[in-house]
Amino acid sequence: MTDFTIVLRSLSLRRFSTTVTVTMVAVSVALLLVLLAMRDAGRAAFRRGTGNAHLLVSADTSPLVAVLNGMFYANAPSQPIDWAAYMKIREAFPWSWTIPTQLGDSFRGSPVMATSKEFFTSFEPVLGQPWSFVAGKAFEAPYEAVVGAEAARLHGLRVGSELVLAHGVGTASGEAAHEHEDHPVEVVGILAPTGSAHDRAIFTSLETGWCVHAEESRLKEAGAANPGEDDHGHLHVDPEDLRDSEKLITGILLRVPTRPGEQVSSALPVAFDLLRRQFPFTVAQPAQQVGRLFEIVSGVDTLFIAMAVAVMVAGALSVMLALYNSMDLRRRQVAILRVLGASQGRVFGLVLAESAIIGLLGSGLGIALAAIFGTVASAELQRRVGLVIDPTMDLRTIVLCTAAATFLACAAGIVPALRAYRTAVVQGLRPLG
Amino acid sequence: MNALSITGLELARSGGFRLSVPSLSLAQGEQALLVAPSGGGKSTLLHLIAGLEDPDAGSITVADMPISALRGAARDGFRGASIGMVFQTFNLLHGFSAIENLMVAMMFSSVPAATHDARARALLAELGIDRPEQAVETMSVGQQQRVAVARALACRPTLVLADEPTASLDPANAATAIGLLQRACRDHGAALLCTSHDPSLRAHFSRVIDLGTAEAAR
Repeated sequence: MTDFTIVLRSLSLRRFSTTVTVTMVAVSVALLLVLLAMRDAGRAAFRRGTGNAHLLVSADTSPLVAVLNGMFYANAPSQPIDWAAYMKIREAFPWSWTIPTQLGDSFRGSPVMATSKEFFTSFEPVLGQPWSFVAGKAFEAPYEAVVGAEAARLHGLRVGSELVLAHGVGTASGEAAHEHEDHPVEVVGILAPTGSAHDRAIFTSLETGWCVHAEESRLKEAGAANPGEDDHGHLHVDPEDLRDSEKLITGILLRVPTRPGEQVSSALPVAFDLLRRQFPFTVAQPAQQVGRLFEIVSGVDTLFIAMAVAVMVAGALSVMLALYNSMDLRRRQVAILRVLGASQGRVFGLVLAESAIIGLLGSGLGIALAAIFGTVASAELQRRVGLVIDPTMDLRTIVLCTAAATFLACAAGIVPALRAYRTAVVQGLRPLG
Repeated sequence: MNALSITGLELARSGGFRLSVPSLSLAQGEQALLVAPSGGGKSTLLHLIAGLEDPDAGSITVADMPISALRGAARDGFRGASIGMVFQTFNLLHGFSAIENLMVAMMFSSVPAATHDARARALLAELGIDRPEQAVETMSVGQQQRVAVARALACRPTLVLADEPTASLDPANAATAIGLLQRACRDHGAALLCTSHDPSLRAHFSRVIDLGTAEAAR
């Protein structure tokens, strides 16, 4: 028989109260852990995806909107950039690389980005991690597409699948988007997951996007009467026939030269200024804009943490209440232990140990709950938003939360323990009733 | 050595309660019945002897140790080791088995831990408890009383204090129970001070101390 046995026996004797209290602590710990993990993982997921691009040029009016649209596929950019402007920007500075992008089409709700081949060779979606293909290869000819990991999973696409692209982003039900039915696009490559927003997208060559739009607009111009029709009775435009006015893009990703292995360059401010002075477009530094986004939401973030801490304190108060209320039930137990020779200090310690065990049990259960919830929530987030969130919690957070919960539970146990300490033995021994 | 000596004990409480024991002693192994009118301070005297309450004046010595002079943990430890207590409602630890009730008692004493289990089993067997692992709250009143007596003797006390030990039993069982308590104390060499308001118990004791008269003194 040890003090520990007595404590465990006391806890199991008041099984209901113990269960409720442990659950309360567990829920608080789980909530705090999930909030912390989600916050960190959410940030990491957003930091990814801007990849190794230094600058983004867009005709959107604000840099933040430009980045959200151009790199996170929030909406189709509203204003185009013409090809001539792209060529001028390309020549304006000794870039490491320049990648034109055009957004605006979609496939069953997934964004379609038309871009150049350099997107797969030069651009890294995550710093230090170039693209890799789980199947197939990058597009080479018009009407070929490469599909991001999440988009492939969502639509069940594989190499050889045919897609009918829709103009406009529309809704998932396909209401607003107009489908370019006559020209299916063939999937030639499936990308490995990157944990960035790019996983949700489908990529084609710029020519594919341009031809599809040119056909549509020329049909409108000419009406149904004018020939130049193909076998199916529709107008066909080859990449060579494209007019310059039809070569429109919506964004340009840029990287200035850096020393090997480095990400920053003193050339960046120069290039930034130059673009701002000479071109009527919005120039954004993606990494900086993501930082701004976090600043904007940091107030909400603090609020969440404050709420989690409040829940934790409420958990501690419930431990105190549970132990305090049970003091009436065990006044007798304390009195008997005192008669049998237990000192006041020892009884104090026994009650305190009870709350510590509740704190530890609650933390353990809370960590398990958080792990389960984190896994479910990250799967759900990935399915719905395409955000890849790593649900594993880091050890430091776990240890800190466990320590905090146990400390709070002990602190909550002090009041009941003091009451046990002061309990008049003689009163506890009287027959009940 | 006396099991118990009290001299000049005085206690006054608000409400007019007064307890005065000029002199009282119990030899080693001696058994005595303590009687007094209801509210006469029998239980209070037992609590004072056990060091659960403090007197206003006077000294209480148990096994040559002035318990009223001991403080805090030392007093609790001394009580656990030298005094066994039996209560009207037994005050067993619910949620614990019979043997665990004895083990908890020994846990706070200086009895070597290795001997706890064997001693507890032997004591319970001696007192007729054949299922030592049974939870005490599921036992009959008679069995609970036996466990209570066994627990009081678990740490080889010098003195056993029994507070109305038969009050919750019918007369026939009360006689058996008091016999059991007396025999167990005798077998284990513990002095016994027993309180009761039941006059039929007088027959069982060669010495009766009446708190209401001067005969308390000796």
